[in-house]
Amino acid sequence: MKPTDPIKIVSQLLDLPLIDPNGNYCGIVDDIELDGSAGKDTRLAALLVGPGAYQGRMPVWAMWLVRKIAGDRCTRVPIAKVESINSAVHLKVPAEALGLHEVENRVRAHIPRVGAM
Amino acid sequence: MNPLELTLGIMTAVGGFVDISELVFAAKAGSTFGYALIWVFALSTGGIMVFGEMSGRVAAVAKQPVFNLMRHRLGLKLGLVTLAASLVANLITCAAEVGGVALILRYLTGLPYPLMAVVGTAVLMASMWVLPFKWIERIYGLLGLFMIAFIAALVAIKAPWGQIAGGFVPQIPHGLSTKELLVFGYFAVAIVSAVMFPYEAYFYSSGGIEEEWGPKDLPMNKITCTVGFGLGSLLSIAILASSAQLFTPANVDPQLLGSSALEVAIPFGWIGLLIALLGMLFAISGAAIETCMANAYGISQFFGWEWGRHRKPWQAPRFTVTWIVLFLAALGIILTGVDPMQLVEYAVLFSILVLPLTYLPLLLLAGDKSYMKEHANGRFGKTLGWFYFALITVAAIGALPLYFLTSGGQG
Repeated sequence: MKPTDPIKIVSQLLDLPLIDPNGNYCGIVDDIELDGSAGKDTRLAALLVGPGAYQGRMPVWAMWLVRKIAGDRCTRVPIAKVESINSAVHLKVPAEALGLHEVENRVRAHIPRVGAM
Repeated sequence: MNPLELTLGIMTAVGGFVDISELVFAAKAGSTFGYALIWVFALSTGGIMVFGEMSGRVAAVAKQPVFNLMRHRLGLKLGLVTLAASLVANLITCAAEVGGVALILRYLTGLPYPLMAVVGTAVLMASMWVLPFKWIERIYGLLGLFMIAFIAALVAIKAPWGQIAGGFVPQIPHGLSTKELLVFGYFAVAIVSAVMFPYEAYFYSSGGIEEEWGPKDLPMNKITCTVGFGLGSLLSIAILASSAQLFTPANVDPQLLGSSALEVAIPFGWIGLLIALLGMLFAISGAAIETCMANAYGISQFFGWEWGRHRKPWQAPRFTVTWIVLFLAALGIILTGVDPMQLVEYAVLFSILVLPLTYLPLLLLAGDKSYMKEHANGRFGKTLGWFYFALITVAAIGALPLYFLTSGGQG
């Protein structure tokens, strides 16, 4: 499915993993952003990725816990950067270009690059 | 299908099938109820075959691991509940396996148990760090084949094959008191849990992604699950049958992990004892790695992180940190001084409670044509899947009352 095709947001998009052109996992579609307003055409504008996008999807106490553990960062992925949607959302550009691998890279800096086959 | 790959896959499944809970409950079940619980092993092995095959098929066809698809299917809230439940069950199980490794190292070396827990965990973590996925799976699975000594021991003690065959027929022994019936029920539930531990299907599915399975691998998936798990289950049944043959007449209650190894020591002497302990060591070590990886897979997949041991540790950094923390947490539980045999009881109890919650999404996904297309569950697969789901639900409902009524199977 192309990102411009009609889509059922909950059953075909929400909570799918994002994969960049290098095959790297780079988050989950935690929420979406729509363009338009009532009575006008509504279009999918962007995918929202990161614990900050859980807001409104979880009870208040659970959201408080998530903020304490994982922070509230939320990365916006414009729909124009999406190549296709099936059992995962495939991106047109690498994760780094969209700011999706910031935490992954921060943790990577502390992992010694020795010993593994 | 590459015959060498298939043979290795089956052997790995056989060697990697048995873990500490099966060892403990098979030996206890045999000494307490003779051959009467063999059918429960056979029945629940059918369950792990069914759900294992489904998880491998989902990985091969949808090309996504089960936890990714589960979150999409269940949504964030229910998905988090499922994740948390399986995390707790797997962590307790992992701690029990680490305790088992420490106990066997202590039997082999005579060194203190806490020291052996630290050394064992360090070796497991080092092998996770150094070895890629396929090597981890193959090395522990193939070395676990030392466990075949239990089948050889059963043959050597001239087992009553007619009675063992009779054990495959579903039965409840005659003449049991109400108390004994409850203990029989508790053992049945514990065996279902031990054979169908939730980590097994999730580890197997993620392994399929690690090895880049596709639809062409579906026949291999089916054969590995059926033959590999089936032969693996025979090891547990051999332990049960030897226990029934050797321990019941002597009125021995195999409370300790090492009691199972005596089943091989009796016919084969100290060499048999050594081989049995080595088989148990590698089988339980493999299970420790599988439970830890299953948890790290689950967390990473749920949040969309890089994951897998087909990548180097620094290429999947949060996955790496997760499995390191989980191993240290399991070691921490053991170092509190909790009895590993008690942990086995908790692992089995908690796992059966969460089993329906962890297998339901898998059952729904494998039957979902939007993901699985022509490979979705057919009528036969659906019937088997729902039959086993009903079975584990009944077992889950009965588990807590049976545990308390029997004081954890003590009667």
